[in-house]
Amino acid sequence: MTVLAPPAPTLLEDLRRRYFATPLQAAVSLFSLAVIVFLAWKILNWALLSAVFTADGGPEACHAAAGACWSVIAARWRIILFGLYPFEEQWRSALACVAVVAMTVLSCIPACWTGRRIAAIWVAGTALFYILMKGGIFGLAYIGEEQWGGLALTLFIFVTTCLIGFPLSIGLALMRRSQLPWISRTTGIIIDGVRSLPLISILFTFAIVLPFALPQWLQGDKLYRVILGSALFFSAYQAEIVRGGMQGVPKGQEEASMALGLSYWQSISRILLPQAMRNALPATINQFVISFKETSLVVIIGFFEILASGNAAYGTGEWRFAYVEVYVFIALIYFVFVFSLSRYGAFLERRMAVGER
Amino acid sequence: MGRLLRNQKVRNGLLQALYVGALGMLILAGTLIARRNLAAQGITSGFDFLFKSTGWDLNFALLPATAMDPYWWYFTVGILNTLFLGTFGLALATVVGTIVGLARTSSNDLARLLGRTYVDIFRNIPLILQVFFWYAVITHLPSPRGAQPSWGMFLTSRGLYVPAPNVGPWSLTIAVAAILAAIVLPLWIGRTARIDRPLGDRATLQLAAAAAALACAALALLAGRLPETPFLDMPALQGLNLRGGLRVPPEFSALVVAIGIYGGSYIAEIVRGGFKSVGTGQMEAAGSLGLTAWQTFTLVRLPLALRAMLPILANQYVWLMKATTMGIAVGFSDFFMIVALTINHSGQTIEAIGLLMAGFLAINLSLAFFFNRINKAIALKGNQLRG
Amino acid sequence: MNGPDPSQAETAAIHIAGLNKHYGAFHALRDIDLTVRRGEKIVVCGPSGSGKSTLIRCINRLEEHSAGRIVVLGTELNDDVGNIEGIRREVGMVFQHFNLFPHMTVLENCVLAPMLVRKVPRSEAEALARKYLEKVRIPEQADKYPAQLSGGQQQRVAIARALCMTPQIMLFDEPTSALDPEMIAEVLDVMATLASEGMTMVCVTHEMGFARRAADRVIFMDKGEIVEQAPPERFFTTAQNERTRQFLSQILNH
Repeated sequence: MTVLAPPAPTLLEDLRRRYFATPLQAAVSLFSLAVIVFLAWKILNWALLSAVFTADGGPEACHAAAGACWSVIAARWRIILFGLYPFEEQWRSALACVAVVAMTVLSCIPACWTGRRIAAIWVAGTALFYILMKGGIFGLAYIGEEQWGGLALTLFIFVTTCLIGFPLSIGLALMRRSQLPWISRTTGIIIDGVRSLPLISILFTFAIVLPFALPQWLQGDKLYRVILGSALFFSAYQAEIVRGGMQGVPKGQEEASMALGLSYWQSISRILLPQAMRNALPATINQFVISFKETSLVVIIGFFEILASGNAAYGTGEWRFAYVEVYVFIALIYFVFVFSLSRYGAFLERRMAVGER
Repeated sequence: MGRLLRNQKVRNGLLQALYVGALGMLILAGTLIARRNLAAQGITSGFDFLFKSTGWDLNFALLPATAMDPYWWYFTVGILNTLFLGTFGLALATVVGTIVGLARTSSNDLARLLGRTYVDIFRNIPLILQVFFWYAVITHLPSPRGAQPSWGMFLTSRGLYVPAPNVGPWSLTIAVAAILAAIVLPLWIGRTARIDRPLGDRATLQLAAAAAALACAALALLAGRLPETPFLDMPALQGLNLRGGLRVPPEFSALVVAIGIYGGSYIAEIVRGGFKSVGTGQMEAAGSLGLTAWQTFTLVRLPLALRAMLPILANQYVWLMKATTMGIAVGFSDFFMIVALTINHSGQTIEAIGLLMAGFLAINLSLAFFFNRINKAIALKGNQLRG
Repeated sequence: MNGPDPSQAETAAIHIAGLNKHYGAFHALRDIDLTVRRGEKIVVCGPSGSGKSTLIRCINRLEEHSAGRIVVLGTELNDDVGNIEGIRREVGMVFQHFNLFPHMTVLENCVLAPMLVRKVPRSEAEALARKYLEKVRIPEQADKYPAQLSGGQQQRVAIARALCMTPQIMLFDEPTSALDPEMIAEVLDVMATLASEGMTMVCVTHEMGFARRAADRVIFMDKGEIVEQAPPERFFTTAQNERTRQFLSQILNH
């Protein structure tokens, strides 16, 4: 701002103008202030001042206190984060989560935004995650998927959903905008059909109904069927985002590549997709955010992901009263992931709005 | 052969036939395998099961439903439950979203801070977690024995007990329908009688229609009143339990609150976007014409913002309607849960999934149709520039 | 008028006979017959909507023709994918709106097609690209992105990009229509140089100065038909057709 500074108003004058200009303004200000102060004090008091932090006193120490009982987290954080994963091997689960976070951070760096690099990062990250979790090689003890749980399982479902769903979405988008009417129409029906259904019903169908319709040798583990369903749902939404990005690429781009003699696939992979993905980036990140939140729905199909392990953490006898603390803890974990990702998306959007390059 | 494969038209035809054919084969193979598997379990395919009685009970039903009732009745009740939950959830979400959205567009820093904090917190926590949270909060309330009444209501771990009119179920249904008519009729009159009637006539007509509908509602309530009971049935503590009144089950309240709060955070952003889309030029023009701040808001800003919001709002409503399926997480008998239970109990997998898809398609399409009508009705005529 | 002569189909650069093109009910091209000899420079002009762009877009199959025959460099343009690819490799095109790839540098724009289509190694392709960028007089812009260049510069890059495929025929679709007046000359100069070096060219343009300077034949189209064709000196002085004269008076007097 290069406006010449007007004579500085006194603090009181400034406050009056900003918050008490009209009676209505004053009322709104006072009300808001009261709510803010009240909530801030309540939360501060509950979460910190009157809270119990150590697990030493057990549940009894909490009954005496007026505030939050963080002892439940201190006592049960392992089950929330790692589920039923064997105690001595939980470092592997933790390391696997770190790998996923590192992978996500890496893919947020513009220098990595080429198809090959992103694919390499995600395939390598997922492979690392899988090896760490499952073991069986490199001297790591074998731990089957049925023992996976908590945060690691949530992240695994999310990452594999994206890894399968993303290429699928590009394929669907290409087929939907295909000039061959039967291909585009059929794909359109698939996309719209999936989009009109609630995610839970799709997860349910894949987990419980699909085994009936598949031959024995194709059924696979329930976990992977659910991941497939979740990937299908993700790709139906993402396909429309990618298609939107493709519509933003001028028709002349494809014509020029055709006139230069490029084949269909060359023109798609070198000309259309790089530009379409750039256009679709903010919406794509938003879709990732939504998809991450929706991963939590697998709890309904009976998986021991972070929400289910949270229910288990307070569900047993002695900590039954401490449900708020457990949910707040899990909500905080989700919040950290989702909030930072959506802030990053908003930042990108602003940066792209300012100007190309 | 090689020449033929190099022909563009032949290639395109083959590709399409291959794609559609492969999909068709996949569906056909799946159906055949499923039929065989189900037949092996002694389940015959077809929709005959719809007329058999279910043999299990519902924990929530707007219309009477018992284990003796057939499946088709349960599906109807399920759809009604979903719509009922959806209506309350969407209404709460709209109210919350409007308030928070207005706070976010306010010129007051403090109000904006409050609104922004709300959106940031509740948007970024999964809905299902919020459902679990509110369900836990409600089920951890004192049991009916220890509950204290407030305004005639009891908030307990077994649900919310509210006073209910002592009226027969059918009369109550008619009364509710009449009250809805009292809202819809004047709107309909406003739309159809726009051109050929002067404004004053229209208002009287609207008033008359509303009054007539309300009178019908009152009549239905009076006629259906159960004899020798007080008009309002108040819940009251009797022994260890609460008797009388209407019990709103904790599953329902938890879902409504969660959908309302979560949906509210999304609708708040839509409201904010709508107001942001109204250009400052429009407001300056209104101000320069001498309209007061209130007139500018109600006559210029709000109508324009509403038009910008509506299409996005429609999508959000469809999304929230689908989110009612989370009822199954806490055991609310919505449409999806009834379908899932049907599969469990009767084994009619394919048919039940088919009905599920058809049901949601119908709900989505009717919502979309409804909003398209509103959209068309209020759309700015002609190709006016906006913003 | 050059009638369709079947014997020319094998030797001519482009041989078009009985070409028709429909968009639904709209008849965009009517019975076009046209033969372009190797090394010939043709300028196509006509009012907007006359089908001149559609005509040259049919030559490399950006538009599919509805009826008639197109033979390019002895290869028939039909549904055969191999033929289409072969023809596109030998026919370069320059568009009204440049259509440079915005996510690639100028150099990358130029080396892309030779590397992917002709399988030229990168070093060779870059040498070729620099040679043609030199030819269109912007070697120093090789590492910039298209958005950083002026319109005239972008169009010259587009010409260089097409030349990098070492085509035998160049098509120009209103190459100067989207340019500011002061940039038109630099593009026309490049085109004139190209013409003087013996490239076979078909240019849709309204730059009559260029037509006078470089064209062997000027074609006037209206309502999907070729109304008149003649060498430039005759075309501009003694046009036969009333519509041609009217068109010429409109664009020459302004």
